[in-house]
Amino acid sequence: MKPVYIVEAVRTAVGKAPRGMFSKTRPDDLLARCLNEIIGRNPDFDPQDIGDVVIGCAMPEAEQGMNVARIATLLAGLPESVPAMTINRFCSSGVQAVAIAAQQIATGQMKAAIAGGTESMSMVPMMGHKVTMNPKVFEDDHVGIAYGMGITAEKVAEQWEVSREDQDKFAYQSHQKAIKAIENGWFDDEIIDYEITHQYPNPDNPTEPIVKTHVADTDEGPRADTSEAVLNKLRTVFRTDGSVTAGNSSQMSDGAGALLLVDEDTLKKYNMTPIAMFHGFSVAGVPPEIMGIGPIRAIPKVLKQTGVKLDDIEWIELNEAFAAQSLAVIREVGLNPDVVNPNGGAIALGHPLGATGAIRSATAIHGLRRTGGKYGLVTMCIGTGMGAAGLFEVL
Amino acid sequence: MTHKNIHKVAILGAGVMGAQIAAHCANAGIPVLLYDLAAKEGDPNAIVNKALAGLKKLKPAPLGSPQAIQLIEPVNYDHHLERLSEADLVIEAVAERMDIKKAVYDNVEDHVAKDALFTTNTSGLSITELATVLPDSLQHKFCGVHFFNPPRYMHLVELIPTKDTEQAVLDRLEAFLTTTLGKGVVVAKDTPNFIANRIGVFSIISTMYHGQRLGIPFETIDALTGVLIGRPKSATFRTADVVGLDTLAHTITTMDNGLPDDPWQNYYQQPDWMATLIEKGQLGQKSGRGVYWKKGRDILVLDPETGDYREQNAQVDEDVLAIMKKANPQERLHKLQALKNNKQAQFLWSIFRDLFHYCAYQLADIADTARDIDLAIRWGFGYSHGPFETWQSGGWEQVTALIEQDIQSGHTMANVTLPNWVSEIKGAHQPRGSYSAADGIFKPRSEAAVYQRQLFPDSLLGETVNYGDTIFEDDDIRMWHQGDGIAIVSFKTKKHIISDGVLKGLRKATQLAEQDYKGLVIWQTEEPFTLGANLAPAAQAVASGQVTQVEALVNEFQQTSQALRFCGVPVVIATRGMVLGGGCEFSMHADAVVAAFESYIGLVEAGVGLLPAGGGLKEIARRTAKDTFGNDLYPMLEHYFKAVAMATVAGSAAEAQDIGFLDSHSEVVFNPHEILYVAKAKANYLADKGYRPPVEEQSIKVAGAPAIANLEMLLANMLEGHMISEHDYAIAKRIAIVLAGGYVEAGSRVSEQYLLDLERHYFIELIQMPKTLQRIEHTLKTGKPLRN
Repeated sequence: MKPVYIVEAVRTAVGKAPRGMFSKTRPDDLLARCLNEIIGRNPDFDPQDIGDVVIGCAMPEAEQGMNVARIATLLAGLPESVPAMTINRFCSSGVQAVAIAAQQIATGQMKAAIAGGTESMSMVPMMGHKVTMNPKVFEDDHVGIAYGMGITAEKVAEQWEVSREDQDKFAYQSHQKAIKAIENGWFDDEIIDYEITHQYPNPDNPTEPIVKTHVADTDEGPRADTSEAVLNKLRTVFRTDGSVTAGNSSQMSDGAGALLLVDEDTLKKYNMTPIAMFHGFSVAGVPPEIMGIGPIRAIPKVLKQTGVKLDDIEWIELNEAFAAQSLAVIREVGLNPDVVNPNGGAIALGHPLGATGAIRSATAIHGLRRTGGKYGLVTMCIGTGMGAAGLFEVL
Repeated sequence: MTHKNIHKVAILGAGVMGAQIAAHCANAGIPVLLYDLAAKEGDPNAIVNKALAGLKKLKPAPLGSPQAIQLIEPVNYDHHLERLSEADLVIEAVAERMDIKKAVYDNVEDHVAKDALFTTNTSGLSITELATVLPDSLQHKFCGVHFFNPPRYMHLVELIPTKDTEQAVLDRLEAFLTTTLGKGVVVAKDTPNFIANRIGVFSIISTMYHGQRLGIPFETIDALTGVLIGRPKSATFRTADVVGLDTLAHTITTMDNGLPDDPWQNYYQQPDWMATLIEKGQLGQKSGRGVYWKKGRDILVLDPETGDYREQNAQVDEDVLAIMKKANPQERLHKLQALKNNKQAQFLWSIFRDLFHYCAYQLADIADTARDIDLAIRWGFGYSHGPFETWQSGGWEQVTALIEQDIQSGHTMANVTLPNWVSEIKGAHQPRGSYSAADGIFKPRSEAAVYQRQLFPDSLLGETVNYGDTIFEDDDIRMWHQGDGIAIVSFKTKKHIISDGVLKGLRKATQLAEQDYKGLVIWQTEEPFTLGANLAPAAQAVASGQVTQVEALVNEFQQTSQALRFCGVPVVIATRGMVLGGGCEFSMHADAVVAAFESYIGLVEAGVGLLPAGGGLKEIARRTAKDTFGNDLYPMLEHYFKAVAMATVAGSAAEAQDIGFLDSHSEVVFNPHEILYVAKAKANYLADKGYRPPVEEQSIKVAGAPAIANLEMLLANMLEGHMISEHDYAIAKRIAIVLAGGYVEAGSRVSEQYLLDLERHYFIELIQMPKTLQRIEHTLKTGKPLRN
């Protein structure tokens, strides 16, 4: 297997859905902006060398349907000869895309590839515009497939005995860490500006809408004003007598991210400086009704595969689908809380489903570079009962 | 003065009343300019915007539908004064201070349109005195309009002219308030607190006085002076808490200051306990406690002696209870009066007696006729009967004799004699009209054009009401007409419950209407339209194992709905109040519905463990297929499914249109007394345009098995989320199956009868389940739903 190098890891800021800053910005445009940036930063690199553009998206329909990867690639001005595909493994799609691209390079089938993800939860809601459930789901033991993610979180909280207080404390800390990271500019290396254009009706001249633009460069989700007391007052939304609230769940979001992966020959050919290497990726299944626990299977699997010890990992991006499942995973696997989500997680920063894996890969890589660490893990739970984990090494 | 309709209203002052009056105008589709002061910083309309935000949270809801608020435009005096000229009616509702009102009048004078009406909504100030600070140009178009809080729900509006108010101004206002806003107008003379508050507050004063005199605890007074004697459930002290003790004290002070020579003047004082509570800021509901204190799950009551709160212990005397519940209305007052050693009986007799005494004495000064006092108290204070009616119901002369006897022996609050006219008449209300003490004659009801639309206004005891000629009548139903070719059907059952007799009668009525009439209107002589089907016989039949009998009954119900739908002449349903279960289903089968704005429509069968099987689900499936224009049926079906599975009852006719229980071309009428008039007009219109009944549909597109799975997904999550019970799931799943047309492929085509057969099948499944029977039993016993 050839080594796989990462040269670029960028992302847009993450907006709140369904009424945040990117609510009227198309997900293909967000992704095209990331692709553009990668090409722009490497003027000597010939994009014709890109073997494929692999993009994760969890609800690939409507604005992000029609193979959004290919559309964004063309919109970004990449040569028509560069192919692209959209892949879907729900919340892990972004890191799954990195894994697919990396495998192509590792096996020598490609020299370079772009991997990433994009998602507009403002434009395409969870489960898509047309929800349809197979009637067979209700005929036998498969009702777990029909459960909303919140119910699965309640089940994890119940089974792993994660208290409401612990969940709210975890959520509060996520916001605090995210605010601190923003204030210190710790996301500056990964976030690229996006100029948002709005067109509003002009009552004075209907043929000339009022056009307003503004630049999005900061994650919209983190709240400096929240507190454990405020979070404690929120009502449960999924189970009347449960513990999962809007405050200790991840936020719905819009965003995109992309990474440029190359082999050693390409590095030399263009005299590129790698920022990280990709070492391995694992997925594993768990019961759908406790899907949040997925990482407890995926993490040991990727560690075994790569031979890296848990203690050697200095930065873990554990996607905070819910505080309940995050805490259950931390406790069950024995993760060091100090290295989990040092810049905050999805409860504060948001979770644009299929884009999250790519976005958090960028966060882990740049975070480790800033703090001088080496190994980073990007892991998450996946709806219908799976976990994924990808291992990076920062150079 | 022009007679043009009122198309736009401006309200000055976005306080509690101003904002709520604006909301009700908006409910009625009238655009409103809502004015208040410009905010000093930030958004200049911030004060009004805050009031608008408050409207959305207020209970009971001032808005009939969330969209209505879009008709209220926030404006301020600094920037939008010139826009005042857009309004045909200006209602000033600023703080109750002469100087503030004068400043507003001076400020707006030049901007009031030439033919606009200019009114003030005051409860405490004299309209005549206000007119003295009013610019000359506004004098002739000025009068008082006194709305009651909450203005959407309180039927009464008092209209108070000055000597300069033009008659045309009053006529225009009366028509607008009555038809457009649906209110009951009473013209009042300009005396302190006008009519309703003058009499209603005196009634509270005398209740407190006699209660204290006889040592009856507050909660017992409330138990005695509520529904037991035909007054609102909140009775005396709970009403005071809701109104606000400070507000009540203010109206008492208004009488104290404004009526120095009144024989009851000594009583226009707030009791000490009330003053103490107000001082402590315990003003009632708005400050969390007043006479009552809701502490956790308990509601404690004030002990006026100690000033502490204690547990309630209301005790109504057995003899008093027997008199009020069992005695003939003609004998009640006499029996109470005769129980000399019974404190509670003496208490009730005393409060009635002094109220009658007071009303008789004041009639000439405060109102044109006894009718105005009785209607004002009914509409403004929720009494089922006014003081003169109650007096008359006990025998006018006999009760008069008892009052005079008590005056002579010094038992009455004031020692003035009854006015002479009392002994000269045989009752305040006679077929020829109601007594006017000022003019010494009986005056008939107004013949103004606006009242021609009220075929049956709220009638008073002593008036005669002619419900036309009977076509047929039995214990459960009456079919009748007024000689205009339109037949009317009214239910005679309690709460207009749909009994087997009602079903039979309705089918007979459709046949007779086809033969001899132009159209058929279903209208009830009073609220509610109906609380739904009578469940007792069905539950009993199931209990005795006679399931086939239940199935026959359900089939009969369905065929009655279909008979309404396919009747050869137009069928129009006129609704007000509750329109539940089978009532909603009937309305879905009629050619048209004329709904009073305060119609509360819903399919509530799930609450008793059943599903709508009178054709309601069939109609939803049919309408969904029609209204989705060949597109995906599911989103609309899910919307209806939620409404039915959660037993949603719409809070207004507008909300029923939003939900879809009323289709968008149903007619919403604001005055409940006008619905019969409009329903007849609608039936005539439908007949005149060449009516053809619909033909039973054979090819209704249904959503099938995939939709059932999607709905079941919602249920699975709610069950896991502990939001619904297993039995809720079982009920809702069957609702889903019927709405989707059963386990068939999406897009399959079925007939109306096919859907009715599904309804019936799953209804029968549900009614045999023990948990459904428990629900029915519980509801029949308590009137409340059971969650199991």
